[in-house]
Amino acid sequence: MIIVAEEINSNPFIDVSVFLFFEDIADKQGVEGFTNYMISQAESLAKAVPEEEYETWDDFANAVSAGESVFSSFEGIKQISSNGFVTEICPFSNAIREYIKRLGNFNKVHQEATDHYNNTVQPSAAFSACMMHQTYRQEVAKRIKIGGKPLNYAQIAAKAYTGHVAMPPEAWKKVLLSKAGVSETQGYMEMRENACLYVLYAQD
Amino acid sequence: MMDIALYSLVDDMVSKAGTEGVVEYWLRVGESYAERMGKEAYVGWPAFNVAMKEGRTALTMEGDVNVLTDLAITDRDGDVIGYVYALKTCPMAPTMNRYIQKIGPLPESDGDVSDSFNVRIQDSAVCNYCITHQKFREVASNNITVAKQELECLQLANKGRLGEVKMLPENLSRINVDERHIKSILRSASCVYALVIKGKTISDGELGL
Repeated sequence: MIIVAEEINSNPFIDVSVFLFFEDIADKQGVEGFTNYMISQAESLAKAVPEEEYETWDDFANAVSAGESVFSSFEGIKQISSNGFVTEICPFSNAIREYIKRLGNFNKVHQEATDHYNNTVQPSAAFSACMMHQTYRQEVAKRIKIGGKPLNYAQIAAKAYTGHVAMPPEAWKKVLLSKAGVSETQGYMEMRENACLYVLYAQD
Repeated sequence: MMDIALYSLVDDMVSKAGTEGVVEYWLRVGESYAERMGKEAYVGWPAFNVAMKEGRTALTMEGDVNVLTDLAITDRDGDVIGYVYALKTCPMAPTMNRYIQKIGPLPESDGDVSDSFNVRIQDSAVCNYCITHQKFREVASNNITVAKQELECLQLANKGRLGEVKMLPENLSRINVDERHIKSILRSASCVYALVIKGKTISDGELGL
């Protein structure tokens, strides 16, 4: 089979049905089941991607920005500081738009699952798909080594389709912004233009 | 990314709920998806077929359709009771290609789930997503009326990523369409189905004198 190099777009029919699949899980297993499945399948997905190694931090940062790393397989990533990175467009935005266009308001279980994740795992999700996305990033980072050291990822901010921005508690936020080499004002400025802000660093 | 997640979700669910459990989930998703699309009414077949060509019906959410107006299905009186339609591209095809490109070979659970459906329910799935897809069409067509009569979808044939074909001879004989004709349509399509007035068959109507 020949696979073309150009970007292949998903069919919205599939995207919407995956959201409905999770809603059906929530019907049977509650919000906790929804959250667990989202996290668990993102872990499985990350484990299926090939491992990577880079000699230097710049090699890795360039590969991520060029979309050549598994870290940027599903999203356009831009480096904004030494360790600060942004995702310009949420990779779920098309699926979210299609759901609203075809079916209407999102089932409230998405917000309930988001709240459940924020209260029980970490306060970083702006929408249910963030659970999948952030878990995928967390797990895929473990498959990347830079100069022999594993990559680490921590979420700073995520913006939902409603405009709501999820951010960690004040004490965490300061530490994460400092690690990213981004000031608080710069962080807010980045979130006006982008969907997600996070820090990537090689573990010492 | 949402669509790519589907494969790992199915893989994960097979390990927790088994292939039969995943089939049940997919059937329910197809049903609720179609129900949430709402009802549609068309004054007659020409109006409905134009809506299909222009992608305005719930059924065309899955992609562009060839409306095969040369394959009108008629009863013994010569009244049109339905038409044959061909979905040009499988909605799952872009996701499959992207998964293979970005991740690697498709998980075996994909085939395990479709096999479970084929053995237990209907031998018409070439991948796990056919289950939801075909159920969606079945329910969505029941929500559409043409000339105040409810429609019914008959799955006729579909083609998998590697060229494997599933045919449903019982549905082909119900509308009296030759298998070779459907195979020729499948050369430039992924899925072929008929929409007929619910409960009508080609043997309905008065016998000609």
